[in-house]
Amino acid sequence: MQEHVQLDQKEINKDLLDTIFHTPMWWYLAVTFFGVVFLIGASAFGYLLNQGLGVTGLNRPVFWGAYVVNFVFWIGISHAGIMISAILRLTQAEWRRPITRAAEVLTVFALTAALMAAPLVHTGRPWRAFLPTPWILPYDFARGIWPNIRSPFVWDPMAISTYLVASSLFIFIALLPDLAIIRDRSTGLRRVIYSFLCLGWRGTPRQWKLQIVAGILLSALVLPVFVSVHSIVSWDFAVQIGTEGWHSTIFAPYFIIGAIHSGVAAVATLMAVMVWVWKLHKYITPDHFDAIGRLLIVVGLTWFFFFFLEWVFALYTLEDPEIAMRKLQVFQWPWSGMFAVFLITSFIIPVTAWLFRAVRRSLLWMFITTILVNVGMWLERFLIIVPGLMRRTHLVFDWGSYQPSIIELLMVIATFAWLCLGMLVFSKIFPLVPLFDIKEAMINREKIKIGRKEIPASIRE
Amino acid sequence: MDRNVSDVVAIDRNVSDVAFKNVNNTLVEASNQTNLKWPLIIFAILSLLGFVGFSIKVFVEGVGSQQWGYHAALVAFLLSSIQSAPMVAIAPRVAKAHWRRSTSRIAEIFGLLGIVNLLLFIPLMWILPSLADGRRSLWFYDALEGVSPYSPHIWAILAIVVLAFLGVFYLWLSLLPDFAILRDHSKVGTVRKKIFKFLSGRWWGSSSNWYMHKHRLGIVGAHYFMLLVFVHFLYSMDFCMSLVPGWIDALFPITHAANALQAGVAVFIVTMYIIYRFGGYREYIGLDQFWALSRLLFALSLLWFWFWFSSFIILWYGGKPSERFVLELLMAGPYIYVFIPVFILNFAGPLLIMMWNAVRKSILGPTIVSIGVLIGTMLDRVRLYVGAYSVSTEPDKYALHSVPNTIWPQFSSDVLLWIGSISAVILLYLMVAKLIPLVNIAEQKELLLYKLHKEFHRTKVMVLGKPE
Amino acid sequence: MFTKRKSIIGLYTDENSVADAMDGLKSKGFGENEYEVLTGVPYPEGTFGEAEPHLHLHKFPLIGAVFGFCLGLVFTIGTQIAFPVVTGGKPILAIPAMAIIMYELTLLGAILFTVGGIIFESRLPKLFMGAYDPRITEGFIGVVVNTTEDNLDNAQDVFKSSGAEDIKFP
Repeated sequence: MQEHVQLDQKEINKDLLDTIFHTPMWWYLAVTFFGVVFLIGASAFGYLLNQGLGVTGLNRPVFWGAYVVNFVFWIGISHAGIMISAILRLTQAEWRRPITRAAEVLTVFALTAALMAAPLVHTGRPWRAFLPTPWILPYDFARGIWPNIRSPFVWDPMAISTYLVASSLFIFIALLPDLAIIRDRSTGLRRVIYSFLCLGWRGTPRQWKLQIVAGILLSALVLPVFVSVHSIVSWDFAVQIGTEGWHSTIFAPYFIIGAIHSGVAAVATLMAVMVWVWKLHKYITPDHFDAIGRLLIVVGLTWFFFFFLEWVFALYTLEDPEIAMRKLQVFQWPWSGMFAVFLITSFIIPVTAWLFRAVRRSLLWMFITTILVNVGMWLERFLIIVPGLMRRTHLVFDWGSYQPSIIELLMVIATFAWLCLGMLVFSKIFPLVPLFDIKEAMINREKIKIGRKEIPASIRE
Repeated sequence: MDRNVSDVVAIDRNVSDVAFKNVNNTLVEASNQTNLKWPLIIFAILSLLGFVGFSIKVFVEGVGSQQWGYHAALVAFLLSSIQSAPMVAIAPRVAKAHWRRSTSRIAEIFGLLGIVNLLLFIPLMWILPSLADGRRSLWFYDALEGVSPYSPHIWAILAIVVLAFLGVFYLWLSLLPDFAILRDHSKVGTVRKKIFKFLSGRWWGSSSNWYMHKHRLGIVGAHYFMLLVFVHFLYSMDFCMSLVPGWIDALFPITHAANALQAGVAVFIVTMYIIYRFGGYREYIGLDQFWALSRLLFALSLLWFWFWFSSFIILWYGGKPSERFVLELLMAGPYIYVFIPVFILNFAGPLLIMMWNAVRKSILGPTIVSIGVLIGTMLDRVRLYVGAYSVSTEPDKYALHSVPNTIWPQFSSDVLLWIGSISAVILLYLMVAKLIPLVNIAEQKELLLYKLHKEFHRTKVMVLGKPE
Repeated sequence: MFTKRKSIIGLYTDENSVADAMDGLKSKGFGENEYEVLTGVPYPEGTFGEAEPHLHLHKFPLIGAVFGFCLGLVFTIGTQIAFPVVTGGKPILAIPAMAIIMYELTLLGAILFTVGGIIFESRLPKLFMGAYDPRITEGFIGVVVNTTEDNLDNAQDVFKSSGAEDIKFP
């Protein structure tokens, strides 16, 4: 099953640094396309700033709409990097090697997309939220109004900024040896820049040992942050008792497992794109898709069990408003349609498909099924947030609904363009596949011959 | 420099017959030689105390549900420890971790001990109130629609019976190749030979035997895991949470199962230590196994906190009267003196002790932490179940209005039952250990094919093969 | 008296030759801190017979965590006492809420100090590269000797006898 291609270091350098030294025409076209889409979204944001939040579909009683959905969605995607990188590193899974960097970078850009989606846009007047930094300094220096640390809206930026800093540093440390490789192949100004960035890396045994220890130690430290981030995002909703469907103890683990489901699916989507666009078929093989497919089955089933419990206990409350909200989600158009699409795309089709080995080993099928997962997971967040707010309490004055406006949709699309743009620009400056990790695998590779059969093996210290 | 395709020469495994025979002989002999006479007698006597305690409970104290909290807690504790321990064989086998090979049998034997818990579970069927009493339920009870008020009882007994038998089946399945070895090593015509011939089925070691064996182990193992989680869901729901009006915690079944995995690993580590120390298997059980499991135990201890805090923060922050009373009953009120040791033994202690690499990578460190985790889990089950059973007569299904009186254990019934049941579990384990090898002989021989040490320039490295 | 030190680098393509060179340098009386091996890939420890590096990395996350925890404590207590408004019926110093912020800051402190520790313990940033060759990052293995000027010939002899592909003076 496992296909092993033995490559020398020169060849690995050539393959994986190609996009850094030679820029293909498609790269310019893609950057232009996503840049334009992003700019359209940015213009919509400018329009919103000028006109106010009235240009969105937000109104009483639904004041959290597409922006908050997008925020939760991107925070979910950001769980991909650490899930793949840290957990697989700690468990010494060999198949992680070619995909860790891309997954980590996906984390960082997804986090920035999330920050763009909620605090920046959703607040309407972001300068009031950002200046001065409200989570550390007083809102109002003159009156000494300090932040209320009992509010989840203070926990949330704390967790997200910690996660962003931690993931960025995680990437930077793992990039050092690869930056040295680029330095050694560059001349002129480029050499000066990469010399500066790699901090004078030379490859002594001490530096390598630290690189290996750092991978494990930072993974172990980032994992608890990773768990806290989406837990805290879930508590933005769950700690309050006023909205049906939100006040549930399961929310933190349910959000985490949902985030892993959508994040790992996004990594699989990215892997397919990397093979097609960056021609990395030598490094990302059907074995890798098979492995991530198996992981996705486990994650998908676990997610479904949490989803089941969340629903069962909503009915167990025997509270009429809660049950009415659930009926709205399942039986009332257009929520019922969304609910059906959500369940079919996020679970029924993909998890059933992944049970088949041929699907797991097919790039195209993995691409399609993992995209479906994320369509479903976006809708899942929409179905948690909006219907809950629509039927707020028994005596609510407004029984309004919500429909995102074109301005909101443009900004939602812009966050997707931002992510693609970020990945493209990153790939132009830094290698998307960790070269030293691949080279280490080549050094450690062995085969054990038993009779006529050769078993793939690797060196373990 | 680079290792080209031609450089990576396959290492020939000349697995000599001597190595194979050594494994056979040492393990078969070890299983024959263990002298367990006195431990068997002592635990048999202690087990009898369980019957005495149970009889006193039924015939003297009566069948009011409030008296049965300790019994329910005992069932929950055994479900959370011994019935979760087989996961230490199932999960690494699915993940193809080589370190498990010498220890998977130790975990599988716990599957058989589920039978004890099944017997203990039966009286709870009579104690659990029917849904007609107004208890809040998942089972959509409706007298007019003809839904049975005993549906939780039906589902629970079905699931627990199947789980217990699945545990036995998994043990037997993994033993097949070893039964064949024992059959072949017994003298012709003896009863021993006949028994092992019967137990080994039609095993003769063909390729199809091995192929089916691996697949069956995978499938039965996966089902055991799913059923285990389901039983935790049913038991924690119907036999605990639903007895406390207003206690709505969607995470509780998962917390229950996750804590059980922690206690399962703990009970396994303690057993492995005893076998390592006194069982004569030092050649096979060593630091590798303790190290692999100590990391898992550490992770599960952190998970304990995350699940607990996820529930706690919602109930504390929500602060509805029903939520406040639940917290008062189970955590802050009379049971705070139980909850604090639980918090220390299941989370704070393991965190502060096992964050040090030197402790994690030792034999004694994880064993001591495991003993603490087992005591912690035991106290935790007492806190939850005795607390829940103490309010079972409350008719209001929406909220608790006061914290009921604490129920203290009776020495003549509850304590004796606990001692007797745990002794029965140990007795059964010892009896099984007398009959079968505690190390999976077939898996151990397979390891000889995939693991080797070799010179790598100026150092020595271990090479591990990863078959499909 | 101050003795001027100079560097020399020998480049190899074969791991065993590197190990021979290391043995040769040892037998010629070079001290452990006078030579080191440079590779473009992490080899198993001790492949070339090099001394095991001693690290103190574990201290960094601990110090960082303590620092972050204290910062969290000061921040949560300080801000609430500075602006004491009761919200949601919670106490001014609500431990569960404070714990969340302290948890984040503890981990942030641990991570920042760990990253600092990794860079510091890796002896980075290194402003002057010294004896180095770009071929190291494409598969060559370099053995760098940094010693007194009169000892350089000895090092060169060892490189030649162990089959170095190239020998360079920076």
